[in-house]
Amino acid sequence: MPEYSVIGKRMPRIDSAAKALGEAKFTADLALPGMLYGKVLRSPHPHARILNIDTSRAEKLPGVRVVVTGKDAIPYKWGVFPYTRDYQLLPVDRVRYYQEEVAAVAAIDEEIAREALDLIRVDYEVLPAVFDAEEALKEGAPQLHDDKLGNVSVRIFVDEGDVEGALAASYLVQEDRFSSPEENYCQTEPYAVLANFDSSGLDIWCPNAGPHMKARPLSTALGLPTSQVRVRKVFIGGHFGGRSEISPADFIASLLSQKARRPVKLVYTREESFNCVRQVHACSMLLRTGVDRDGKITAVDTKIIMDGGAYASTGPIAGSVAYLMWEETYRMPNLRYEGIRAYTNKPPRGMYPHHPRVAFAGLEMHLDALAERLGMDPLEMRIRNAVSEGYVTPTKTVIHSCAETETMLKAAEAAGWKEKRGKLPPGRGIGMGCGAVISGFPMGIRGGSAAFVRFNEDGDVTVISGVVDNGQGNDSMIAQIAAEELGLSVSNINLVTADTSVTPADQGAYSQSSTLLSGGAVKEAAADAKRQLFEVAADMLEAKAGDLEARDGRIYVRGAPDKYVATAKVARTALSRNHTILGRGFRWPTVDPKRDWISNPRGQIASTFSFGTAIAEVEVDQETGRVKLLSMIAAHDCGTPINPMAVEQQMQRSAVEAGPQAVLLEKHIWNKGQNLNANFLDYWFPLSVDVPRIEPIIVTSNETFGPFGAKEGGLSITVAMVGAVANAVRNATGVSITELPFTPDVVAKALANKGGQVQ
Amino acid sequence: MPDHKTLLEVLRVDLSLTGAKEGCEDGTCGTCTVLLDGWPVRSCLLLAAEAQGHEITTIEGLSDGERLHPVQEAFVNYGGIQCGYCTPGMILTSKALLDRNPSPTEAEVREAISGNLCRCTGYTKIVESVLAAADGTGSTVNT
Repeated sequence: MPEYSVIGKRMPRIDSAAKALGEAKFTADLALPGMLYGKVLRSPHPHARILNIDTSRAEKLPGVRVVVTGKDAIPYKWGVFPYTRDYQLLPVDRVRYYQEEVAAVAAIDEEIAREALDLIRVDYEVLPAVFDAEEALKEGAPQLHDDKLGNVSVRIFVDEGDVEGALAASYLVQEDRFSSPEENYCQTEPYAVLANFDSSGLDIWCPNAGPHMKARPLSTALGLPTSQVRVRKVFIGGHFGGRSEISPADFIASLLSQKARRPVKLVYTREESFNCVRQVHACSMLLRTGVDRDGKITAVDTKIIMDGGAYASTGPIAGSVAYLMWEETYRMPNLRYEGIRAYTNKPPRGMYPHHPRVAFAGLEMHLDALAERLGMDPLEMRIRNAVSEGYVTPTKTVIHSCAETETMLKAAEAAGWKEKRGKLPPGRGIGMGCGAVISGFPMGIRGGSAAFVRFNEDGDVTVISGVVDNGQGNDSMIAQIAAEELGLSVSNINLVTADTSVTPADQGAYSQSSTLLSGGAVKEAAADAKRQLFEVAADMLEAKAGDLEARDGRIYVRGAPDKYVATAKVARTALSRNHTILGRGFRWPTVDPKRDWISNPRGQIASTFSFGTAIAEVEVDQETGRVKLLSMIAAHDCGTPINPMAVEQQMQRSAVEAGPQAVLLEKHIWNKGQNLNANFLDYWFPLSVDVPRIEPIIVTSNETFGPFGAKEGGLSITVAMVGAVANAVRNATGVSITELPFTPDVVAKALANKGGQVQ
Repeated sequence: MPDHKTLLEVLRVDLSLTGAKEGCEDGTCGTCTVLLDGWPVRSCLLLAAEAQGHEITTIEGLSDGERLHPVQEAFVNYGGIQCGYCTPGMILTSKALLDRNPSPTEAEVREAISGNLCRCTGYTKIVESVLAAADGTGSTVNT
């Protein structure tokens, strides 16, 4: 790696102090003069026609300023894709899940708003409902959307090579059915919106993963020009894939404000945050994996059914990620994948880093089972099937920079794999998993990022970018990139980010593209500003602009560091010559524009990919089935780490999400469409005492598209650690448990069925 | 002050001290944590009336003007903060631990903060931050 002054350095994030001081303001912390408080009335039925809503008594309650129903809104159905427009953000004639929004109130305080809800009378005609994805797909099931027959939200079908032939000719084939119920994001910050509508348009603060992604649909739903909807910068308490889409809460708060002509704050309860934003799909999957005598994968064949809930959300993407991650992780000459996302009368399901957990646990357990049958070390099996730079996947995506094998070897060494695998005492197990993640996938006209770099009078810089920071450190990331490019220190960089009134469009914090595209755009803008500075400095130094460098706050002649001028002085000199230094840049992913999730799943899917290997060690109590995590190791190829501390943070988060959360603990329990554990007492998730320290290992590779060679910061581990913990439990128990999560009752039952034998 | 108001409501609404957060309504998440006579308590479960006569420390009261308290500094320097929502509660709980037990083991740290939920960090760097605050290394960046 070249000698950078800022890139690759461990540093605190630029906003950590504000958070430590309690100064950082999240949406629910904000207040505006004359603010009203909103509350939402929710459906008591999982599926019903709305016959009539009588709001007259609520309107008359002293303190109530406005009541809205779907009739107050423009008829508009929203969807992430043009062909998934099925979501009316405040329904008019039908509710499709228990607790779906029906009406809303804005009042001078929360108590009055809550009281007003009780005064709204809704007449429903209850309709038959369906709560299971496979049931929903059967003929005769209640239909949720008139234009989506058979309750098929999306069907993804990929068929490359000759899967049946390859499986028939395989030396060994493993076949299993895996299943997992719903999970949830549990962002520590409950969902909240502050909306302020006046004659200049709408200002709105809310958790988001891309303010520009919310502004557009919100403007259409409200009948406003997009430029008059200003999604403002705010601190966000986590997103994890669940806050990227416009939410009914965003729309309802805005509508209330529009009608009341006053600011409206709508804060969700934890139960509403569980049930009324997004959840994570329940899945069932049939998987067949074939290998040849040398342990090389011959074919992968799968059918996966996903319970999508009542609306489409990011269905085409969620329906595709399983096969995409598989084919980018392991060589597989033949691949057949059928993914069906079904509608059911439950809350809508969105994207989540390790979704679908059955896919990553399943394929990894298959590889271990096949390795066992071949008498091969699972590490050796992974190495034989690893992808590398230049590899072309079945769906015709080319792998660029790739250090996957290195992640396998480094993780194995750190974990003591060779010393432990097959040699642990009874009840203990060690397991491995690998994963790859796409970075920068196509999102049409909204798939790119742009930025400005402005020099201020004191020589400091302000970077203006649409990138959003949900807590993963994106603001600090672009400050480091700008500082490196301009040869300044991070303390000279100021930011204006994630504000649609000011910042140029950005694709948002998904498809792992913030470093790649948002960071890339900032680098371009900084380079542009630097070019302008060099023109002025060249004159001041009587040198050629092409011979200049910028570092440590100075611009100097390459090879003659004594011939320099302070960067701040150059910026001021420019102003004295009536020249404003203003840099601009943009970055778009290099993907095949003809590739489509559904109609043409073939071609370059992303600009680049990250890779990771995880290893976990567990101890399983043979009587109770309780799994204790002893150690977790993660090795991730991020190209170049912009800030190693930040990359480690992402890897550690990913490990805990994939291991204890996905494999061991998290699930929702249902009764006829009602979520029985929408609270933190009954929804189990990992506490500080439930996890060991996560040991992070950063691996670099020769990435050419990402800024300074950087890819993404750690998400491969959310795929890899699912397999690692699943395989560790498999190793400890001697059983491939096919039902996730591996809660004590599930493990105990598996052990009992096996006769309690441990390998 | 109405009898039914919780300490959390009075802090956030009447006193505009929004460092203490609301996260769960049932006292499980710990984002509302403040110190009452030095002990971490759930301000969402405490009536403001019950707090009268006691010393309440919120996150805003920890720093000295712009100077961060050593625990705050350690969290900043050791990467113990990501989205920041659990941070005020987490820091106050950690401070209370170190006031009672200046050299905790890792297990004691994890036990002490087991009532503060975090979804962003996986807890590793939070534990490292608290241990760094304990042994004095938290005042410089963890390289």
